[in-house]
Amino acid sequence: MENMANKVARIPNLVDWSTGEVRLMSAKCNSCGTYFFPKEHYQHRPGCSRQGVEDILLPSRGKLASYTIQYYPCPAPFKTEQKITPYGIGLVEFATEKIQVAGIITGTDLKSLELGMEMETTILEMFANEEKQQVVTWAFRAVK
Amino acid sequence: MRDVYIIGTGIHPWMGFSEKVFADFAAVAVDGALKDADVEWQKIQAIMAGIFIYGGNAGHLSGQYLESIFGETGVPVVNVYNACATGSAAIRMAYNSVAAGETDTALAFGADVSPKGFLTAKSDNAVQDRDVIRWKMGGMPNPIYWALECRKRMAKYGTTEEDLALVKVLMSEYGSKNPDARFKKAYTLEEVLGSVYVCDPLRLYEICPVSTGAAAVIITADKELIAKADKPVKINATTMGSAIYGDPTIRISALSCPAVAEAPMLSESYSASRQAYEKSGIGPEDIDILELPDNSSWHYLVYLETCGFCKDGEADKMLRDGMTKIGGKLPVNPSGGFSSHGEALSAQAIWQVIECANQLRGRCGPRQVEGAKVAMAQTYGLMGNSGTTIMSL
Repeated sequence: MENMANKVARIPNLVDWSTGEVRLMSAKCNSCGTYFFPKEHYQHRPGCSRQGVEDILLPSRGKLASYTIQYYPCPAPFKTEQKITPYGIGLVEFATEKIQVAGIITGTDLKSLELGMEMETTILEMFANEEKQQVVTWAFRAVK
Repeated sequence: MRDVYIIGTGIHPWMGFSEKVFADFAAVAVDGALKDADVEWQKIQAIMAGIFIYGGNAGHLSGQYLESIFGETGVPVVNVYNACATGSAAIRMAYNSVAAGETDTALAFGADVSPKGFLTAKSDNAVQDRDVIRWKMGGMPNPIYWALECRKRMAKYGTTEEDLALVKVLMSEYGSKNPDARFKKAYTLEEVLGSVYVCDPLRLYEICPVSTGAAAVIITADKELIAKADKPVKINATTMGSAIYGDPTIRISALSCPAVAEAPMLSESYSASRQAYEKSGIGPEDIDILELPDNSSWHYLVYLETCGFCKDGEADKMLRDGMTKIGGKLPVNPSGGFSSHGEALSAQAIWQVIECANQLRGRCGPRQVEGAKVAMAQTYGLMGNSGTTIMSL
């Protein structure tokens, strides 16, 4: 994993790198079995007691379930110092958790994208803040 | 519940960004509806207003501002927001009020001024507004969501880039015949396939922009007003649906979706349309005209399936075989669709109903569907919002 010192997520409680791997911060409802991302974005099964929701980190790797390539710059409040357009957006499936999560594709030749390919969770550096920290978001890249 | 009819409709033609006040656009549409119905303003007993989300306090109270233009009469004014199905909510409330006998005649309207450029976040508060995350962290404008679903469809059902382009060819042909449409140029397949990708596989001409527009309908159960109206259009059902647990669609503003489907795609529209079929006793096989929300070419295809006009994966064949053309078995979007209009958020659902009513009333000139007796307007809104209205002569 890249050096994660001096990096900060632009919005907290979405991406974690404390375990040594970059992983998405999900939550699982132990009553209805549904996983949520973001973890506060509840999607309970009707009739669920909603008891026993616990924070859980998604696995670092999943499979590409869909993707697109965005050809115009995303408007504010999206912000990156470096020009990233055109950029990929992937929908990565975590099969055990039965959830697909969307995120920017980075560090990957966009022409090589194929449905079903293995992807790993990483971060994308967006810009430096006033404390000279790199502000980051989660992202996906093809497993080499 | 008693029978309810549309007796008057009005539209402010769709256009791009404007510095004019949204309520002035609304007034044009409402004036048109009053004249069409030959009804005085004082006869309106309830106003159901779609709100204009970019209009601040005035936009959120659009019904009161509209009422002040025409003269305040003390009637109930309710302002409603259901994303792009806002107009459906306004019509449904007007219908329910009249059908239940609370009022005899009610107005539903919506007016929107396009925000300049692309739609983006409406707040900066990631705690209260989950939508902020997809903008700040995800880099995901609305068409991204459609492109992700479109790619899945292409892999699953063999939808081609030509299919996606053909939708625009048809829509632009009809839009060129609609004086109220914003885009009136007819495109060839080559021109559409030559337009740039916005988000691969969707091209510039295959997604709809944001527009300015206004639409209003007057509905009534007043026998005198119905008797003097020009071809009153009966509302057989007007319903709203929300999403169903396990819907695999990645919904605009969400950052995840279920990997295993336990409900139909676009389940909010599945819900709304099935409610309408049940309430009206009218099924897809009885519909002569369908106005569906073609926010992108993908929507045009998937909506035929979601609303039960064909089985999953068969919409491409309907399109290729010409079944969805004017003159085909099921003319789809003779108005030119969102593709030719663009989204005017609170007005668009009402405009779709008006196109259906105008078709049934034989008012559509070169894009008229001959002999149509039953029409259906279907909407689609962000975060699980949908409405269906079935009408007949």
